Amino acid sequence: MKVQFWGVRGSIPAPGPETNRYGGNTSCVSVRSASGELIIIDMGTGLMHLGNALLGTEFGKGGGKATILLSHAHWDHIQGLGFFAPVFIPGNHFVLRGHGKSSSMLEGILEGQMNPNFSPLYTLKNLGASFDVRAVVPGEPFDAGALRVTARPNPHGSTTALAFRIEEQGRAFVYASDAGYPDAGPTAEVLGLYRGAHVMVHDSTYTPAHQATRRNRGFSSYEQAADAAIAAGVGRLVTFHYDQDYSDEDVDALRDACRAYLDAHGGAKIELVAAAEGMELEI
Amino acid sequence: MKVKFWGVRGSIPVPGKSTNRYGGNTSCVEIRPRGGWPIVIDAGTGIRRLGKYLMDGKFGEGHGTAHILISHTHWDHIQGMPFFSPLYRRGNKMHVFARQQADTHLQAVFASQTEDPYFPVPLTALEADVQFHELVEGARFMIDKTAVQCTRLNHPWVAMAYRLDCDGASVVYCSDTAPFTDILLEHEFIAKPPLPGELIPASMADKLAAMRAGLVAMCQGVDLLIYDTQFTVDEYRQRPHWGHSTPDDALIIAREAGVKHLCLYHHAPMRTDEAQDAILMATRWTAKQAGDPFDVIAAYEGLELTLGDDA
Ligand SMILES: [Zn+2]
Ligand SMILES: [Zn+2]
Ligand SMILES: [Zn+2]
Repeated sequence: MKVQFWGVRGSIPAPGPETNRYGGNTSCVSVRSASGELIIIDMGTGLMHLGNALLGTEFGKGGGKATILLSHAHWDHIQGLGFFAPVFIPGNHFVLRGHGKSSSMLEGILEGQMNPNFSPLYTLKNLGASFDVRAVVPGEPFDAGALRVTARPNPHGSTTALAFRIEEQGRAFVYASDAGYPDAGPTAEVLGLYRGAHVMVHDSTYTPAHQATRRNRGFSSYEQAADAAIAAGVGRLVTFHYDQDYSDEDVDALRDACRAYLDAHGGAKIELVAAAEGMELEI
Repeated sequence: MKVKFWGVRGSIPVPGKSTNRYGGNTSCVEIRPRGGWPIVIDAGTGIRRLGKYLMDGKFGEGHGTAHILISHTHWDHIQGMPFFSPLYRRGNKMHVFARQQADTHLQAVFASQTEDPYFPVPLTALEADVQFHELVEGARFMIDKTAVQCTRLNHPWVAMAYRLDCDGASVVYCSDTAPFTDILLEHEFIAKPPLPGELIPASMADKLAAMRAGLVAMCQGVDLLIYDTQFTVDEYRQRPHWGHSTPDDALIIAREAGVKHLCLYHHAPMRTDEAQDAILMATRWTAKQAGDPFDVIAAYEGLELTLGDDA
């Protein structure tokens, strides 16, 4: 599996020289299986740049297929869809799997941001590509080609966000963004989802001090990310979904503090990486 | 009056090294009458930084008043609104103006922007006092000592241009609009655009001519014309139905209206700083060749202009 980061920021894109190194685009990660299948996780503004990169592949000719996993429908996770070049090319096909009481409700949510008040596209039906939108059942695995995907919800402020585990030939990748755990931490089911992942991308929006004053927003600090990584025994933790106000130096400091926290709390063996736009990880 | 640019980009914010100089935030301009409250035009992501700046003053104490004029509710013109800090301080007063829609109240459009599941804080939970004002094109009204007028533009779902006069100075904000020649953009979705230059039905041509005349009249003699110049000529030929203009279109309107400064605005997301420099140079050259008396500038984040008696 190859994982690539296209957007690592939370809430709203943050342009400016102070975010040049980690990047200012909102959440989007791609996972490519050894056999070539593509999974896209979340559709923040990073999706536009992934789309442009895909134009040189089968997606440029209308022969592309991908699964899109949507953690939840907050803007920073859907705002790139209308700017994803492959959706304008007839023949491309996307299976979109996300959170929703039903598949039609999930489709309605995507339609809602594309309605003509907000977007010149008017509706998903005007996109050339075809979409198969399906709500996922938490805990029930499904296949995306050779990749096996399981999803479980985490509390996220007044809503929930799905965390995903993707497995291929005994290797596991976890994506857990926008996780606002209660004091007790993740549920046993969610810890089970994280368990033993080779790589876990985890919400690390805040420093603990900022998290303490903004608890109701439903995000993790790097400490909660580290605690989850230690409890689940993951191999490598990747910090992700940085606050829009954090400069590159702030993120450097967040990563260093997270390293120190891991070392002091029994996580010295866990590798730590701060997600940055353009970064690739081989799992 | 002072005019300050907080976001100059169209369509979608574009962080990254290639946009460091012009800036990657979407549309937002602040007009500040001398000694007065800010009048903000459009609430793209640029409004987030404006909000932080305002919180250092009266807005931080909950004693601020802002008027926000929205050209239209496409994402790139409203997506910064929920990140505008003064909205979260009790006591601040906000007046939001936009064009009246046939079937939906403005307040409902904004409410649906932030309702569950799109955003964690609904409109009803804002601390500031927010009032919505619906406008019809041609409306004229005062915001304190500033005279405001508006006229409609050629853009999908319809956008409005605004003119503001105060302190002996005037500015027109004209974004987003297609030129008034090849296609009429209103409420239908256009899947297959006509070829630019093709003959169009007379009824459509008449409507476009009236729209154009309204805009030129409103721009008459203004100190500053801020104009949507997202497209190059080639890009326009491919996408005339997207509702954006080229610098050449802006030059023609600026010339006809006798403006003093033309400001290129709403830059394409993929336009690098170098490419934008080249567009500015080429537009200046064209204006010089034509003997245009006005200056051409290109908006960038942080650009502040002083007009009228404020100077
Ligand atoms: Zn998020
Ligand atoms: Zn726009
Ligand atoms: Zn628009």
